[in-house]
Amino acid sequence: MAEVRLVDVEKRYGGFLALPKQSLTIEEGEFLVLLGPSGCGKTTTMRMIAGLEEITSGDILIGGERVNDKPPKDRDIAMVFQNYGLYPHMTVQQNIAYPLKLRGVDRKAREARVRETAEKVELGALLHRRPSELSGGQRQRVALARAIVRTPKIFLMDEPLSNLDAKLRVSMRAELKHLHHELGVTTVYVTHDQMEAMTLASRVAVMREGRIVQLDTPKKIYSEPADLFVAGFIGSPSMNLVEGHITGGRFEAPGVSIPVAAAERGDVVLGIRPEDLELTTAEAPPIRGKLYALELTGEATLVTLREGATSICARGPAEFEAEIDAACALAPRPGARIHLFDKTTGQRIAA
Amino acid sequence: MKRILLWWAERALLVLVSVIVLFPIAWMFLTAFKSPRDAYSLSLNFTPTFNNFVTVFSHPWNLGDMVLNSVVVASVTVLIAVPCASLAAYSFSRFRVRGRKFLFFLVLSTQFIPAVVIVLPFFLMFRQLGLLDTRIALIIVNLAIVTPFVIWMIKGYIDAIPTDSEEAAMIDGASRLRVIWDIVLPVAAPGILTSAIFCFILTWNEFLFSLILTRRDAVTLPVGLVNFRTERGDLWELMSAAGVMITVPIFIMALLIQKHFTRGMTAGAVK
Repeated sequence: MAEVRLVDVEKRYGGFLALPKQSLTIEEGEFLVLLGPSGCGKTTTMRMIAGLEEITSGDILIGGERVNDKPPKDRDIAMVFQNYGLYPHMTVQQNIAYPLKLRGVDRKAREARVRETAEKVELGALLHRRPSELSGGQRQRVALARAIVRTPKIFLMDEPLSNLDAKLRVSMRAELKHLHHELGVTTVYVTHDQMEAMTLASRVAVMREGRIVQLDTPKKIYSEPADLFVAGFIGSPSMNLVEGHITGGRFEAPGVSIPVAAAERGDVVLGIRPEDLELTTAEAPPIRGKLYALELTGEATLVTLREGATSICARGPAEFEAEIDAACALAPRPGARIHLFDKTTGQRIAA
Repeated sequence: MKRILLWWAERALLVLVSVIVLFPIAWMFLTAFKSPRDAYSLSLNFTPTFNNFVTVFSHPWNLGDMVLNSVVVASVTVLIAVPCASLAAYSFSRFRVRGRKFLFFLVLSTQFIPAVVIVLPFFLMFRQLGLLDTRIALIIVNLAIVTPFVIWMIKGYIDAIPTDSEEAAMIDGASRLRVIWDIVLPVAAPGILTSAIFCFILTWNEFLFSLILTRRDAVTLPVGLVNFRTERGDLWELMSAAGVMITVPIFIMALLIQKHFTRGMTAGAVK
């Protein structure tokens, strides 16, 4: 267990700046998720911590010790790869035992430890199979078992669930969370799936174009997104973002007029989550428009209105029914969060 | 209808090609078991005899010495070329070094030079060193011919292995050499074996350099064949017997390659 610190770390490929200079501290025992769209530098960041990628400048410290010049094998880490990275010519047993073998653990202790670990991830019956004889989920378990067979200072996980089918992904997610609770090892987890990030993380670092744009608890990221990018990236269906202006204490846009506590200004983007809106029959509703689409998700109906350039989605009751193109009205629920962003910089405007 | 016709045309063509290719080989095998009296006859009705094989291995032909020379030269060449080429191929495949592409091109470009152009410099060099008519000279020359080719072949196999497993091993605590030994070599083994057999065949069949660089002691099998053209005429039955001795090991190896070749293609396929 250890704290990981990236100090003024920068990464260039030749002349191309992949990751601009930035710092990041991962606390001891924390589950930090690096979240962002593909190509945002999250995997590169992880590979730099692992030592698979050199850093151009700055320092990486694991447990207070500078590891810049240490090869991966001396960093005392374990990693789970997206494509599992199993050893195809070894049995499951040999795969899991390999890290122990390299560290000179004797045969008897090794076998005992492997058996114990395999039981933990429910692989006990498959120890003598080859990776090619396993299903995707089982291979993922082998990769996981190989990582936890010894107790490293940190775990690194690079999109470990992305090759699994949706159902398995959800159950493995819970297992990962439980495992982290049980072992308490500092974990860095890379994903582009915001659901995984929200459910697993103690803190999430949202990345975009090589930069960490927000680093906070999942709750905070959800309720107080730092900018338009985070606001649009987190949440499903994503937050409604409407361009408009503020006059006389009200946010105005085609079909929208909502009271806000902010100074008068133009070029503002208002953000409100679909679950913070409800259908209304009030006389002068804050949001009016024509019904554009109705999508039943099971426990709710997603109602999408359009008025001019404005398109707004709300989560309505499952039993709601109406004709397409019918006039419709929405209002923020009591206690709803209304977010305001600067249109040019994308930054959040403090309310 | 058209498809059936095409099917038959295809078969007919295959049979034709096979006959053209295999007939001389088959005829050689037949001749090897004929007595000198039957060697020139076209009749398939003859009494087979093993005398030719006994003759070629005894004085003055001494084919045994040539077999030994060929085996030693080919084996030692393979034993040196394949390990060196494997390491070189791994480096070419994995390390992003400046000028890597040019270096690789340089290695391959040695293959563009016709053998006849360099055989004379080699002859002079080995005369200077007093290595003419030795197996060492042949091994050195064969290494020069074969190694670049084997590097190129093995690199292809290593390129096909995903790097994930290697990186996993490095994180699990292995050094680079350990990764090569524990992960890359076992996974690439079918490919490396194929390359080794290929390398053996190339060396085994090599003719020009052996012809120029050897006289008596280090003569290899292909050059030995020439001995059967004597003042008394061409001794076809003996030449065929010697030809069989050259061909059979290669046949066996080709069969081995065939089996491993398909395995080599699918070995790394674990996601």
